Amino acid sequence: MIELHDLALDAPDGRLLVQGLDLALPRGGNLLLTGPSGFGKSRLLKVIAGIERPARGTVRVGGHPVWPGDGVLALAGKVRLGFAFASGGLLSNLTLRENLALPLRFQGTPAAEARQRTEAALERLDLLAVSELRPHAVSASARRHGNLARVLAMEPDLILLDDPLEGLDAADRAIALELLQTWTADPACTLVIAAEEPHAFTHLEVARLQLSPVPVESP
Amino acid sequence: MVFLARLGAPVRGFLEFLGDQAHLVLRTLRDALLLRLDQLAVVGGQTKLQVRFTGLDALWLVSGTALLLGAVTLIQAFSQLSGLGAENYIGTLMVLIILRELGPLLTAVLVIGRSATAIAAELGAMQLNGEVDALAAHGVNPYQYLLLPRWLGVLVSMFALVVCFDALALGGGFLVAKLKYGVTFGFYMDSVRQALSNRDFAATLLKVVLFSGAIAFHACHFGLRIQRSQTEIPQAVTKTVVSALVAVFCLDGLIAALLYF
Repeated sequence: MIELHDLALDAPDGRLLVQGLDLALPRGGNLLLTGPSGFGKSRLLKVIAGIERPARGTVRVGGHPVWPGDGVLALAGKVRLGFAFASGGLLSNLTLRENLALPLRFQGTPAAEARQRTEAALERLDLLAVSELRPHAVSASARRHGNLARVLAMEPDLILLDDPLEGLDAADRAIALELLQTWTADPACTLVIAAEEPHAFTHLEVARLQLSPVPVESP
Repeated sequence: MVFLARLGAPVRGFLEFLGDQAHLVLRTLRDALLLRLDQLAVVGGQTKLQVRFTGLDALWLVSGTALLLGAVTLIQAFSQLSGLGAENYIGTLMVLIILRELGPLLTAVLVIGRSATAIAAELGAMQLNGEVDALAAHGVNPYQYLLLPRWLGVLVSMFALVVCFDALALGGGFLVAKLKYGVTFGFYMDSVRQALSNRDFAATLLKVVLFSGAIAFHACHFGLRIQRSQTEIPQAVTKTVVSALVAVFCLDGLIAALLYF
C-alpha cells in the first residue's frame, strides 16, 4: 500500500529530518512511527498523504505515484484516505456532523448511506451530544474524536493518525484505543500511527519504526 | 552583477506571481469541468454562501454609493456646464462617466474592500488550521470546493452589483435633474438610451468577468500562500487589496484602450 524509496524530509528551517528512508507497507499492514517531537513524524505522515512535498525520494500509495507527482490530488478517486490530524483539520465553519458528512457527500456516497455512516461514527466516538456544534465550540478532546470520527465514517483504505491519543483523558483514550484495535485487526485497512509516546500502543499489533535524528555533518 | 540581480529579482517575482495566477485559473477551470453531478450540490451550496456575502450583504452599501455618485455627478456637471446647454448632454455624461467607467470600477473597489479581504483572511486561517490539507486528504478537491465557488460567487455578485450600481446611479442622476432642472423621466431615459451602444454593454460584461476573476484569484492566491503564522494574515490581506486594485485598474485601462481608443 505504501512504498517509500530514498526519502528525505526537511524541516521548514531547512534542517534535514529524515534521510534515505526506504519502506514498504503492504495492504492491511500496521505501522507505528515513534520518535521525539520535531523529528519528522507528522511531516512523514503528510508526505505519505501527499499534502507536503519531500526534499527527495519517491512515494507511492496503492501503486499510484504521489511524489514526484500531483501529491494528494493524484490519489483522488483511487485510494480512500483518512487522516486524523494532531491539531486542527476540521472545517471551522461546519458543525462536527457536517465535517463528517462533507467528504462522503463529495465522493458521491448516497445521502442515506452517508447519513447512516455519519451517525454511526458520531455515536461510536461519543460525539452525538455535540454533533451540531462547530469545532471551536467543543473541547479539544471532542475535536480529536471528531477527526477520528471523520476517518471512521470514510471507511478508508489507508488511515494516517497523528498522535491520536495526545491530550485525551482516560475515558476518551479508551474509546480511541478500541477504535484503533478495530482498525489494526481489519485486513482491508492499512494503518500508520505517529506517536511521541509509544507505551500507549504496546498492546496493538503493529510494526514499529523509530525515527532518529540525521547526524549533522561538521564543516 | 549585484545591480542586475536587484533589478531582476522583482521581475522574477512578478513573473512567478503571474505563473501562480495562471496555474490557479487553469487548474480551477479544468477541475470545474471534472465536477460530477452529485458534487454540484456541494459546490452550489458554497457558491450561494459566497453570493450572499459578496452580493446580497453588499447591496445597501453599493446602492447608497451609486445613488450618491449619480446625484453628485450631475450636480457637478450642471454647476460647470449649465450655461452651455448641459441638459442636452445628460445621457452622454451619465453613460460616459457612470456606465462606462465608474460603475464597474467602483463596484470592483467595494468588492475588493469587503470580499477579497475576507476571502484572503478566511483561506489564510483555513490554511493555518490545516483545513485545506484536511479537505485534500479526504478527497475534497480544494480547487472545486474552495476556489471555484468563490470565483463563481464573486462573478455572479459582481454582475448583479454592477447592474444595480448603474441603475441606481442613473436614478440618483435623474433625481437631481428633475428636482433642479425639471427634466422629465422620458427625456432623461431617451438621452441615456441614445448615448448607449452595444459596445458599452460588451465592455461592462467584459469588465465584470475580468474584474471578478482578478479579485477572486488574487484573494485566493495570497490567502493560500500563508504557511506558518497568524501574523501573515494581515499581510496577505494588504497584499490582496493592493494587488487586486492594481490589476483592476490595469484591466480597466486595457479594456478602454481596446474598445474605445
